[in-house]
Amino acid sequence: MPINREDMIAGLTEDLEPVRRVTPRDGALLVGFATLVSGIASISIFEFWTGMFAGEASAFFWITNGMLLLLGAASTTALVAGALPRVGARANAPGWSAAMLGLIPVAAILTILSVEATHDHSSDVPSLLYDPATWYWECGAYAFGAGAIVFLAAVMFLRQGAPVSIERSGWLTGLAAGALGSLAYGITCPLDSIAHIGIWHVMPVVAWAVVGRFAVPPLIRW
Amino acid sequence: MIADEATFARLMASAQNGDKAGYNVLLSEAGMWLERYFRRRVPPHQLDDLVQDVLMALHAKRATYDPARPFLPWLAAIARYRWVDHLRKVYKHEAQEIEDDDAIEDSDEEVTLARVSLERLFGHLNEKQAAVIEMVKIEGLSIREASERTGQSESLVKVNIHRGLKKLATLVEEAE
Repeated sequence: MPINREDMIAGLTEDLEPVRRVTPRDGALLVGFATLVSGIASISIFEFWTGMFAGEASAFFWITNGMLLLLGAASTTALVAGALPRVGARANAPGWSAAMLGLIPVAAILTILSVEATHDHSSDVPSLLYDPATWYWECGAYAFGAGAIVFLAAVMFLRQGAPVSIERSGWLTGLAAGALGSLAYGITCPLDSIAHIGIWHVMPVVAWAVVGRFAVPPLIRW
Repeated sequence: MIADEATFARLMASAQNGDKAGYNVLLSEAGMWLERYFRRRVPPHQLDDLVQDVLMALHAKRATYDPARPFLPWLAAIARYRWVDHLRKVYKHEAQEIEDDDAIEDSDEEVTLARVSLERLFGHLNEKQAAVIEMVKIEGLSIREASERTGQSESLVKVNIHRGLKKLATLVEEAE
């Protein structure tokens, strides 16, 4: 039986308790903390790659991980802002950051193909295509696993908030989880060729974005 | 007269701190504001239910209001979200009906709802979809009658209604 609006308002008023405000800062801190936990977990399992501070890391290592950091930051910023109801312009930084990161696997594939085309196959040095590091897919799986902690933290925060663009929040959760998870795992990986890092360290971002798009909406709808 | 933005913002900030008297005023005033917001968006008999739904959502999500920002855009975003959710349920129900039953029994309620919800969005559909939705969901023809009148097969009529309604729901969701 439908209730009278005045009665409902009286009921809600009676039920009122002081609340702690949900702020975007809380969300950013939670996702940042989850990234830290993910990084520590990765280090405890795979060990920190000290070579990056000994001049052993290639430029691709720094560029790719830098882009992952930027994409993670842009996605997290947009995600926590979108957890509070509001109208107006949306940040499109995550889209541009993701597009820029997308250049890395394209560069990796072009490099593999062009090196293969010009490689002297009679030499003892294997081409990129036959380099075991190029096919070391396990890094993609480990980085994907590292993203799970970030994913859970982001979903937890979104459930506290009131996102009004559910699908967008799903994409952003996936992008943040993929980028920050891959970054957290990436600091343990000494395989820094463009062919390896450009494919297996970027793949988890794509995978998490798809998972986020489809798995998050039912979890955060209110 | 409905409260202004500054009053709403002040009442909401105090409600977050537990001020019950102010909250009562806020909910009453927000109820009036929402009535005006929804008046042109839903049929009159659904207005009060939707207003109550949004007031409950406001209550459940009151911690997400930032006192440094304006109140009414916050409320409008919640109202729009609940409205879209309401439309999604209506369209889902309608689509389910088409799948379940060839001879749809249209009630006055459904016809009114379809007219109010679809009128402004019809321009986005292709001619075939718009024609069968208009015939079946607004004029009240059966699938068979719409099929005879348009020359589309009965299955195609159903598909066009289903896809058209789905597209309308998407358009409403995407609209800012």
